[in-house]
Amino acid sequence: MTTAWVYAELAGGVLDGSAAELLTTARTLADEVAAIALGPGATAAAADLGAAGAATVYASDDEVFASHSGGPQAFVLGGLIEEHRPSIVLFPGSYEGRDVAGRVQARTGSTLMANAIAVPAIDRARTEIFGGMTVVDVQLQGPEPHLVLVRPRSVTAEPTGGTATIVAVPAEIPEADLGARLVERHEEAATGPKLEEARVIVSGGRGLGGPDAFAMLDALASAIGGAAVGASRAAVDAGWVPYSYQIGQTGKTVKPDVYIAAGISGALQHVVGMKGAKRIVAINKDPEAPILKMADLGVVGDVFEVIPALTEEIRRRSGS
Amino acid sequence: MNVVVCTKHVPNPQGTPTLGPDHLLVRSGVEGALDPGDEYGLELALQLVERHGGEVTAVSMGPDDALAAVQRALAMGAHRGVLVTDDVLRGADALVTARVLAAAIQRQPAELVIAGVESTDGYTGTVPVTVAALLGHPSVTAVRALELEGDALRVERQTESGYDVYACPTPALITVTAGATEPRYPSLKGIMQAKQKPLDRLTAADLGLAPEDLRSSQTVVEVVDAPPPPGGEIVEGDTAVGRIADLLADAGAI
Amino acid sequence: MVLFVRRARPRLDVLRTARPDGRTDEPGVRARREVVQVLGQRKLFQKAVPGVMHATIFWGFLILLPTIAEAMLAVIDPAWTLPYLGHAAWFAFLQDAFAALVAIAVGVAFWIRKVQRPDRFRGSHMREADLILLTILGIVTSLLLWNASRIALGSADHPSAAPVANALSGLFSGGRGTEVAERILVWTHLLLVLGFLTYLPRSKHLHILTAAPNVYLAKNAPSGYLTPLRIDLDAADADVRFGAAVATDLTRKQVLDLYSCTECGRCQEVCPAWATGKPLSPKLLIMGLRDQVVAETSAIVAATPSGTVELQPLVPNAVTDEVVWDCVTCGACVRECPVDIEHVDTIVDLRRNLVMAESRFPPEAGAMLRGVETAEDPWGQPASARTDWARGLDDVHVLEPGDPPPEVLFWVGCAGAFDERAQATTRSIARLLIAAGVEVAILGPRERCTGDPARRMGHEYLFQILAEQNVETLNGAGVTKIVASCAHCFNTLANEYPDYGGDYEVVHHTELLSTLIREGRLAPGAGADGTVTYHDACYLGRHNGRFDAPREVLHGAGAATVEMPRNRERSFCCGAGGARMWMEEGGDARINETRFAEAAATGADTVAVACPYCFVMLDDAAKASGSSVRVADVATLLAASVLPEPAT
Repeated sequence: MTTAWVYAELAGGVLDGSAAELLTTARTLADEVAAIALGPGATAAAADLGAAGAATVYASDDEVFASHSGGPQAFVLGGLIEEHRPSIVLFPGSYEGRDVAGRVQARTGSTLMANAIAVPAIDRARTEIFGGMTVVDVQLQGPEPHLVLVRPRSVTAEPTGGTATIVAVPAEIPEADLGARLVERHEEAATGPKLEEARVIVSGGRGLGGPDAFAMLDALASAIGGAAVGASRAAVDAGWVPYSYQIGQTGKTVKPDVYIAAGISGALQHVVGMKGAKRIVAINKDPEAPILKMADLGVVGDVFEVIPALTEEIRRRSGS
Repeated sequence: MNVVVCTKHVPNPQGTPTLGPDHLLVRSGVEGALDPGDEYGLELALQLVERHGGEVTAVSMGPDDALAAVQRALAMGAHRGVLVTDDVLRGADALVTARVLAAAIQRQPAELVIAGVESTDGYTGTVPVTVAALLGHPSVTAVRALELEGDALRVERQTESGYDVYACPTPALITVTAGATEPRYPSLKGIMQAKQKPLDRLTAADLGLAPEDLRSSQTVVEVVDAPPPPGGEIVEGDTAVGRIADLLADAGAI
Repeated sequence: MVLFVRRARPRLDVLRTARPDGRTDEPGVRARREVVQVLGQRKLFQKAVPGVMHATIFWGFLILLPTIAEAMLAVIDPAWTLPYLGHAAWFAFLQDAFAALVAIAVGVAFWIRKVQRPDRFRGSHMREADLILLTILGIVTSLLLWNASRIALGSADHPSAAPVANALSGLFSGGRGTEVAERILVWTHLLLVLGFLTYLPRSKHLHILTAAPNVYLAKNAPSGYLTPLRIDLDAADADVRFGAAVATDLTRKQVLDLYSCTECGRCQEVCPAWATGKPLSPKLLIMGLRDQVVAETSAIVAATPSGTVELQPLVPNAVTDEVVWDCVTCGACVRECPVDIEHVDTIVDLRRNLVMAESRFPPEAGAMLRGVETAEDPWGQPASARTDWARGLDDVHVLEPGDPPPEVLFWVGCAGAFDERAQATTRSIARLLIAAGVEVAILGPRERCTGDPARRMGHEYLFQILAEQNVETLNGAGVTKIVASCAHCFNTLANEYPDYGGDYEVVHHTELLSTLIREGRLAPGAGADGTVTYHDACYLGRHNGRFDAPREVLHGAGAATVEMPRNRERSFCCGAGGARMWMEEGGDARINETRFAEAAATGADTVAVACPYCFVMLDDAAKASGSSVRVADVATLLAASVLPEPAT
């Protein structure tokens, strides 16, 4: 009997959406599927994990998991692995997933595959290389469990509606495994993350016509959540926003998941700073604007109509 | 405070990467450079020793060409370099790489090990924490600011909606984000001085690693070209807003 | 005299110990420049009133030189004078006339300084200038009065040949009192002359001695040419200096430049940085460096090549970092300077030290250096994209290794290859050449940045690597003739690559196109609508003297043209040169917007450019101002007029 485990990430006591996706994949690989949820909210999340396909949930609500970075999770997970010997453990491809998987690997000495887009078999993982131009299948060898980090939204979650047996796990962590301790949390909702670290960037250019329009971009960024606001050199030169907003050759180089260029023409000076974005959305009223040619999604339209409507739509979808 | 910085030689990001007949990335004989993602950590390390004293050692594993990455680190100001080069390490997976780096790091006393969040070519992003675990060090990833407070570190870790502050005992390992600092551009003087700096070239045997520790447990079995991306699409009018929202949802942004 | 020598000695010592720069080749060219520029005062006449004023004083001084000997003899014995000249009526006339003219010129000089008060004098030593002018006035006035007293005493040979002194002789009675007055006046005259001579070596007026040699030692090559620093990383030891860090790193010419400046401020007046409120003034830069060299004179003379510890770094002591980085290397200052001070070369030498030895430069320029270093273009674009502009132009031939040498190689340049706007120019040029039956051969992915931005930024080593690599590629392809569309590439290929073994006939695209029009290979079509004003690119025009070809192309395009107030040699920079393209701009105003406003004020509908840097800068300015004035390369305007289908 093969067993596939899923590392279910909790963020602020709430179950991350990746768990249901990973459980959907895990069900295709093994007869027995279990989830590991560690930290405040774990027990409460067991119902959702069961509904997503986990038969067993190893859970601990201990505060120690929320107040430390990776160490306690890896210690507990490593112990559980030694005890139950699953064939594969799936992790979300997040910072936490990486932190825990990387530490567990040192203990298990088993193989680890990151950035998987699919797991066709218990000993096989699929990934993309060269910026998504080539797909490779990798044979996973060596001692079990195989550790696989799966990219978010690689599969669509298919709930089973089942229920899980909760197995409470003790949280007695040796001092040496605690690691770094959380002392403060800072939310920067108002200013958003740094441009270089933001997953989504909303950026404005000359087409915005003035400083006031940047308030519109701020509203969009906060509706998205965790988005940062940037600008082209033209907008900075015009004095609409400070230099720290500038993206491009003489500004910052950014690589977000999504880059939304509003009223930016796409001069080389700007393009070199944002071409590393995974997806580019451009909104420009000039159908000849070079930025539209390089965008994954180009919108020929008025930023003053599109941006507020988009903000509204996102708020509607997030139900807030 | 002595700091070890992990430095990776990556193929030139402007070049066209290729896989060899063995399905491994062709690393030798291609133009390459120090991974730009490693420069932030290196800069942070240099600033740290400039303030608190100590030395920075740049450690790298790779083919002969990887010497360029170590030399770049030395030119930027690192005090000594260590390059582990061995034919048996060709195609090393994350675990083997972590074992080699951990063994190389252990050769000199260091209160802090710094690495990039992920490499620019492989972006696995787990090697540093595995190294930390092998060394028995605590680790904090995605660090955007760092201060030394006595024997401990106060680090700011980037989160999706802000940052968390951690107190981290030393010795420790951290990975550093691009937003942490602006890396210096090495002077020509620095490049010349780099040639005089101590550089250890080691093999796997020098590190005392057994052959079974160096066996990779992954093999590429199939390579196919991905379907060409759908390409740019131009939309106008009322559907635009829905399409942008769909794209954001698809990217997991909302 | 002894005092003069004693005071001049340290200046000479500094010059002697300064780094030699071998500026003595082509003596014919240098001698001719001496005649035109020093004797003929050519550059001074670029300003009419001050030019005539200065020329009068200068020529007056030449003519009055024998008078010093005359006065020396006369103080010993009133009867003594120079043989021949002392008795010649024509010399008496010239002496009288020029003494009077110099007096008037001094009056004009005071009028300029006290009434007109041009901004170019801001920061100059005004008191010192006043003292010098008053001394000159004293010298000529005492001369005239001395002559007048001699006329009154009847001891002058030709009273009527000296009308001014003759008229003034009425002031003297001719008696015993006049005899005493004559003695006092000749002594006054001589003491003023000697006092002036003694004061000279420590004053900005030293230029009367240094200007002539400074002009002689000026650069014979086009002003866009920079003297290479040969850097061998394997040979050089870690303590070697790159560029100018301290005073002893300056070359002989650079030191002489400092001693030659009279603070006239003509450079300051034409400097784009100063005009837009930045701290750089070429004049203040030279003054700052001079003050430090003067202050450190004894340390400089005592310094041995290996030990210069007591010298302060030039940056930020003599000039601040910001001043060094403000320069667009447009060369307007050099062009304007009456005594041929080479401000730009000194600034680049200061930058060389900052970049290569200290890695100290505006951080935003780092991306350019990294791009040139790793991707071989300033924007870090992939080499494979260098031919993207040629999509759909099947006749463009990308030279492969082993292909027969091309008749002409089209050097596209990084901007021409990667910049969306400059690509339009590149396509226009290619289409015009194809239409004229000229084969368009390019290096494609084998072309690298010429290294110009790195070099102007001070990274001589990076430039050297690229120059060597490009020369190897070009020579390997058998290239003998190159057409370049970028003024910066043009300057580097034509003037600087010969130092690296690359000798090619280099023409700018406007030159080639004007030749094709002249030969009838491009038949002018319908004229363009509206009027066009042409903006001279610094590295095409002022630095390399190509003023007519772009205008001929516009003529060929049938365009009605209008000139901007500042055109040709005195064109105003777009703001992108000197690697400023990759730096953020401070100050009160932007150089590109200042220039664009000047262009728009002509009422032209189109601003024509001939360099992709100018294109990007002025087009950005046009967009920022919301103006409907269009910016386009002359080639695109020609293509629109000459080619059947609309230019893309």
